[in-house]
Amino acid sequence: MPSLREWQTRFAAALLQGDGDTDEHVAIYRNTVFSNYRHALGATFAVVKQLVGAPFFDAAVDAYALAVPSLCGDLNVYGGDFPEFLASYPHARDLPYLADVARLEWAIDAAARAADVAGTPESLLTALANVPAEQGVAQRFTLDPSCHFVHSGHPVLRIWQVHQPGFAGDMAISSDVAPDYLLVRREGGAVIIERLTPGDHALLRTLNDGSDLGLALDAAVAAEPDFALETTLRARIANRTLAQLRGD
Amino acid sequence: MNRHLPNSAGLGLRAPHVSHVLAAHPSVPWFEVHSENYFADGGPALAALDRIRTDYPISLHGVGLSLGSTDALDTAHIAKLSRLVDRIQPTQVSEHLCWSSVNGRHFNDLLPLPYTREALDHVCARVSAVQDCLGREILVENVSSYLTFPESTMLEFEFVVEVAVRSGCGLLIDVNNIYVNARNHGGDADAYLAAIPPALVAEIHLAGFDASGPCLIDTHGAPVAPEVWSLYERALRRFGAVPTLIEWDTHIPEFAVLQREAATAQSYLEAELAVAA
Repeated sequence: MPSLREWQTRFAAALLQGDGDTDEHVAIYRNTVFSNYRHALGATFAVVKQLVGAPFFDAAVDAYALAVPSLCGDLNVYGGDFPEFLASYPHARDLPYLADVARLEWAIDAAARAADVAGTPESLLTALANVPAEQGVAQRFTLDPSCHFVHSGHPVLRIWQVHQPGFAGDMAISSDVAPDYLLVRREGGAVIIERLTPGDHALLRTLNDGSDLGLALDAAVAAEPDFALETTLRARIANRTLAQLRGD
Repeated sequence: MNRHLPNSAGLGLRAPHVSHVLAAHPSVPWFEVHSENYFADGGPALAALDRIRTDYPISLHGVGLSLGSTDALDTAHIAKLSRLVDRIQPTQVSEHLCWSSVNGRHFNDLLPLPYTREALDHVCARVSAVQDCLGREILVENVSSYLTFPESTMLEFEFVVEVAVRSGCGLLIDVNNIYVNARNHGGDADAYLAAIPPALVAEIHLAGFDASGPCLIDTHGAPVAPEVWSLYERALRRFGAVPTLIEWDTHIPEFAVLQREAATAQSYLEAELAVAA
């Protein structure tokens, strides 16, 4: 009799093999395992699934599950690499926007699971008021942990919106649009998606990378020459996109 | 410290029904949730459970700890479970007597073990380690299976009972799984019940199976079958009025359907209490 470890390794190999030789009862487990992945990723990537249809989607998930193992007992966190997988999936070559739609859907999922922040706009404003004026540009901010940026050359937000349950408007999507700079975050407990101006996007992304306000302002002005820093800062503190000063 | 769920019929709470429970505050004696669905660092799902736990006793039921795996115990997983236990203060914590990962790859499914002395020693050590980490007793649940293994040297119920006796955990007896396995493998469900010491049983699960394939599949996607209600009645005769949960995980129906299933279980519990009195 093999050791339990050898036995589990063999069972796992048989389960993954899935050729005609697979025992009928091992095949039941194989079906359950793959249908769990299809179901879980189908919920997270619901718009991707609508765009390609269930048979295509399920085949893509099966290929993904074989190529990129689940490494965690919590199925909710499986699928983070699915957008990258779709980007290089040969059968999706004619759907250049698909991976970006998947990135948006993963960002929505991740935003919903992110940590809650204790700080308030008032506490951040108080902390800023205590910063000497000449040190203002040296400040670094922590963004709310739910913040996720999605940048796409395709109109992914519009694609996502017209595929939401209950959408009753015009489904037409123009491909002739400016790139999407999106910020996905939680506000008041719900996940929201904002389309950012190039300046806001440059400012927040640079701050999110850990750079100071001076560098972030340079990036914002480069992206949007008439960028208004004070307006953006006030709004982003009030709506808690900017959560805390780093080092606080 | 003794922790007991109410001796009544609770419901498995799944995402589609959370907003209804928060808004309508239905009369349900207790809820069970899948632990992993609340492993997030924060966010609305966890906030909803924070509110629900103030009004209902909660049981945390794990599906991903992989107790029977020969990989090292996943300390990150246990840390998240421990964090959730601290936050929710559940009445009960349970896991499955199965394995779901090996060599780092998770199958995210409840895979059956061969019932050998080696597997028994291994699972007992793992259950003890988990209980030490959590600082509390857990319940382990018998799983459904579609395979038996020639390597097995013990019957399933012998294995299940030994795990509880040796590791000091309690048992969550899934009556549907006993029925499914007896049908799939030709066992005797009543002999199974008779082999379980009543004092070990802290919770019962009921769910529906699918009979359309080559064997019964434990889909949690249908009403409890009449034969399983009958076996449940005999389980209560043996174990007494044990807290009982209705589970429904695929093709989840509207909440009222779950409540009707729970009401049926409740009527069996009350009949048992009346007989015992």
